[in-house]
Amino acid sequence: MRLRKILVVAKKEFMDNVRNRWLIVLTAIFMVLTVASSILAGEGKLGRIEATVITLLSLSSMLVPIIAVVLAYGTIAAEAESGALSVVLAYPVKRIEVVLGKFLGLSSVVASSVIIGFGSAGVIISLATDWSEWKDYGIFMLLTILLGVLYISLSVCFSSLMKKRSTALGAGVLIFFWGMIIGSIWLGIYAATGGSLTELYTGSVDKFPSWFWYEIFLSPQDGNQAATMLAFGQKEIMGFTFEMPHWVNLKNIVLAQLIWTAVPLLLSIYFFRRRDI
Amino acid sequence: MAEDCVIETRNLTKKFRDVLAVDRLNMRVKRGEIYGFLGPNGAGKTTTMKMLLGLVHPTAGEVYIERVRMTSDQVEVKKRIGYLPENVSFYSNLTPVQTLNFFCDLKGVSRDIVPHLLREVGLEKVAERKVGTFSKGMVQLLGLAQAMIGEPTIYILDEPSSGLDPRWVKVVRERIRELNRRGATILFSSHILSEVQALCHRVGVINRGRLVAEDSIENLNRRLKIRPKLWVKVRGEVPSWISNIEGVEGVEVEGDEVIITSEAERRLEIIEEMRGRGVKIADFKTLEPSLEEAFMRLLEGEE
Repeated sequence: MRLRKILVVAKKEFMDNVRNRWLIVLTAIFMVLTVASSILAGEGKLGRIEATVITLLSLSSMLVPIIAVVLAYGTIAAEAESGALSVVLAYPVKRIEVVLGKFLGLSSVVASSVIIGFGSAGVIISLATDWSEWKDYGIFMLLTILLGVLYISLSVCFSSLMKKRSTALGAGVLIFFWGMIIGSIWLGIYAATGGSLTELYTGSVDKFPSWFWYEIFLSPQDGNQAATMLAFGQKEIMGFTFEMPHWVNLKNIVLAQLIWTAVPLLLSIYFFRRRDI
Repeated sequence: MAEDCVIETRNLTKKFRDVLAVDRLNMRVKRGEIYGFLGPNGAGKTTTMKMLLGLVHPTAGEVYIERVRMTSDQVEVKKRIGYLPENVSFYSNLTPVQTLNFFCDLKGVSRDIVPHLLREVGLEKVAERKVGTFSKGMVQLLGLAQAMIGEPTIYILDEPSSGLDPRWVKVVRERIRELNRRGATILFSSHILSEVQALCHRVGVINRGRLVAEDSIENLNRRLKIRPKLWVKVRGEVPSWISNIEGVEGVEVEGDEVIITSEAERRLEIIEEMRGRGVKIADFKTLEPSLEEAFMRLLEGEE
């Protein structure tokens, strides 16, 4: 494995995808949403960063995975179908270098989108209000980038497993929805096993069984939201106060998200090496 | 291995689920030759060529290029190969310059040759346009340009002139000859038999995954007893007694034209006999044996 070859592939991937029309549209949506959330949070004027982020969170944790899936679902399946990949693999480059290069390049596209979209809006808000919370905002952006990279890894994995572009997209959409609905499934199990939904709505949920909190590690989106809340020292979500067990902390959530990234990436290398192009 | 083989396959086999795409194929491409790879659609040409490059993993058998066992991560050998796949495609958001720069970096050669390569395939005027806006022929030309990066000594070209207009087909043909003159070994597949006949030193014919012949075109014709023919146009009706003339082996009549198969040295006598019996000959010419016939006969022999 040679770093130079990985970087050559990564650079190409970045240059090709940074001009993706969807990416540009979604990045613009980020900027507009951030400023809009800030105005909402500030009741008409630009509000504080913390309140802005809380308002923004459910949207960002949904949009960033969508961007990642759109960018990466076709990176192997579609290129194998079109014939572009056979040219690349006829060059003196190893398959592992191609997968890692693609992962790196696509990840940097997502990171750029987050930095440009949220970052520029963050600067506007900070200029209008104050700079004291830039550090927390930075953590918020890092966590958002991590979520994007995680979904890049998942999508690359499906892309290297699936023969066709369409099935790779289907798998990407499925894994996105997994993160979105696992919370509801969990609540269903909680209710079905005798848990009280009234307790949930009245906010007295200290007595949640410990398995209930596993959900945060199973859903990348919810993990991202919880991690951001923890980073801002928030314990309130949509009006409900949560007392989380001590092991549901920022460090463990980030660790879980790193595992969510590493495992699919290793699997993509495995699938890609075995694949006929 | 007595001869100097650049590409050699040994019992190369590929099975996709229950379809046997390539069946114990033993092919040898010698150094410095232009080798034409022929076969009907779906015969296994593309799969074989992809296995040569390690793009498709063989179910059984091996590929040797420059006597090195080929695998998908065999980077040293791939440095010497230029490959043009069937239905080539590139990245729609990149320009031809960016595309070729990328491939130069991937091969570890200087980007200085990019403008020269673009000129050679006539794409210099669209050098800054996105490849996504290109026609199929232009993409094919860009494909040829990338294959020449790093001055390979081995070219593997899958249907190099598909999608090109006649002017560019000619350019590509000349380019293949030129590369060969400079010492490159070239393997290319084609379904245009005249192209293969005009270019190749030797051909390999594949049908249903099996190599049914591998030889020079002359040898193939000799082996298959394919003879030169005589084409005659007469005034009036073609008499039926032509087939009875001594030395005539076959007669095909179409209107006032007749194609006669015979030994080459009997042709003049046949014409004289026809004239002597009062046939008015309007025109005549000899038809040299074509690859097409050899090809058809090989495939028929397989049926």
